[in-house]
Amino acid sequence: MMNDILIALQAVATLENLLIMVAGIWGGVIIGAIPGMTGTMAVTLALPFTFYMAPVPSILLLVALYKGSTYGGSVSAILIKTPGTASAACTALDGYPLAQQGKAGKALNMALYSSVTGDFISNLSLIFLAAPLAMLALHVGPPEYFMLMLFALTTVAGVSGNSLLLGLVSAAMGLLLATAGEDMYGSFRFAFTDDMQAGLSVAPVLIGLFALPELIKMIVMRAAPDKETAKLGDQKVSRAEFLSSLKSILRGSSIGVIMGAIPGIGPSAAAFFSYGEAQRSSKNGKNFGKGELEGIAASESANNGACGATMIPLLALGVPGDVITGVMLGAFMIQGLTPGPLLFQTNMHEIYMLFIGMLFSSVLLFGAGKLTMRMFSYVAHIPQTLLTPTVLLLCLFGIYSISSSMFDVTVLLVMGCVGFAMFLLNIPAAPFLIAFILGPMIEENLRRAMALSRGEPGILLSSPITWVFAALIVFVVALTVRREIQKSKDRKALIS
Amino acid sequence: MTKPLFRGLLIAAFFALVAAVLIPVYVPRPAFIPGFAPPPDMWPRLVALIGTALGLLAIIQAFLGRGVPDESPIKTDGAALATMVLRALGAAAAFAGFVLAVPLAGFPIAAMALTGLCILLTGERGHVLWALAISILGPLLLLAFFQQALGTQFPKGLLTTAIGI
Repeated sequence: MMNDILIALQAVATLENLLIMVAGIWGGVIIGAIPGMTGTMAVTLALPFTFYMAPVPSILLLVALYKGSTYGGSVSAILIKTPGTASAACTALDGYPLAQQGKAGKALNMALYSSVTGDFISNLSLIFLAAPLAMLALHVGPPEYFMLMLFALTTVAGVSGNSLLLGLVSAAMGLLLATAGEDMYGSFRFAFTDDMQAGLSVAPVLIGLFALPELIKMIVMRAAPDKETAKLGDQKVSRAEFLSSLKSILRGSSIGVIMGAIPGIGPSAAAFFSYGEAQRSSKNGKNFGKGELEGIAASESANNGACGATMIPLLALGVPGDVITGVMLGAFMIQGLTPGPLLFQTNMHEIYMLFIGMLFSSVLLFGAGKLTMRMFSYVAHIPQTLLTPTVLLLCLFGIYSISSSMFDVTVLLVMGCVGFAMFLLNIPAAPFLIAFILGPMIEENLRRAMALSRGEPGILLSSPITWVFAALIVFVVALTVRREIQKSKDRKALIS
Repeated sequence: MTKPLFRGLLIAAFFALVAAVLIPVYVPRPAFIPGFAPPPDMWPRLVALIGTALGLLAIIQAFLGRGVPDESPIKTDGAALATMVLRALGAAAAFAGFVLAVPLAGFPIAAMALTGLCILLTGERGHVLWALAISILGPLLLLAFFQQALGTQFPKGLLTTAIGI
């Protein structure tokens, strides 16, 4: 094993790989710092470029973008009270008041230290937990996989947007779209044109759904951008300040790891939970929301702590926990690697390379954050009216280059319009995407299970593992419905 | 008609259309299916029926006024609804125009036109030089990158080929 790790270390520690990771981290930090640009966009825009790269560097690029953008989201949250990513929303609560007090540099430094610590702990958890989980997963069959994926889909539908019903509608749309093309018996389903006989590719659907609606929103709504700004300042975080926040950082990292490893939860929920927990238990709890460094530490350690952990279900079970890992699943498949338990048997070298690369990226995140801190105040002010059309341009060229297909470009533009319509109707896009990616696997496992049982649907509840997942599905649905009823009651009380 | 009711109707109608019209026509069943394996239309039909049921549930929720999600207002520039509809149609027309223009003008020139048009449609009037640079130099730089570094050949247009570009 030690020999394998050393070989993998040698393979990762090349100038090319390091440059790819530096570019990924740096690009991610910058994209995350721009309001309106998300980590999902960063990862999806980079996807076409990974077609021309070796498997491990391509995944490392996407992981670096993910981590960089998660940290970058805190920059605009602190400087202009506009979280670059949803997971940085809590950071704005204390970061912006600190910036108003002329302590933006101190807030950014604390965000960076907490992010790097959370990220490192998260990577270690991935290394130690993914392999045992994968070995366990080897003993499950099609019914168990079907129930597991159904659970992941229900969770994503439940936590995306503000309605379980609309989340499930979105997932059903994604599942339906995934059936287009040739099925396992050679039947062409929904092949309206010759191009559709091969089905729809992941990249144009995904990029269209997530990147283009922002441009259409900009064209149709023309909402005025936030003009507020703050100077960076140059204050450093003292040792005493860091140590007083260390407990919150470690607790936030653990919360991030646990919540990141559960499919569908992800960094945003982890950040909110960690912030609330830190506020409850800290002796400075009453200062939270007024410019408390510990608040930033709790939020940032949790959202970056979830980054590596979201890779645990992806690598071990082949189940993406959120949109970004959904994109990564697509990238793995494009590279001929299928995440899941077998990956740990057939591609152990690539797994070790990935683990080592992720540890490297924690160090690079620290360097990139420090080096680019000063330019952030400029980056965060690029006009959206110029930025979003540039994103469209990148999408057009990137998507065409994947398979030299104008059909893919048309799918990209159509999915952009679909994404905008979903936004108008309050239907969340994340369950659509996860369902579109998982759809073929869900269907295949269901059909295999039904074939094994000679058409008896009872096989889907035939083992203890399937019972556990069925119980979890019921639990998630009940919890989400309860939360929605409570929110509805609160709303009515507020109105009355 | 309220937004939740309209949404519920739209969802139910979409999935019902798929289940009742599209699946019978566009999902053929092979003559022979091995063993007890479910046919190709089983899964899309199941999903479409579940979708229809969810749509009906959304309609019931809208009628009862229970469980309807919070419809927070969408931030706009305060323009009238008709203006926003026109803008949306403009964006859709620009996308359709791009797809139609590629065989005639070629990919790079169509991309330049689409980018420039999108910048205009966003209401940007203050950064003319930047807008021109993004619209004209952006596609040229990307063309050079994808052609030189990755060997991608982008479609040339009938008209541009005819005039020797």
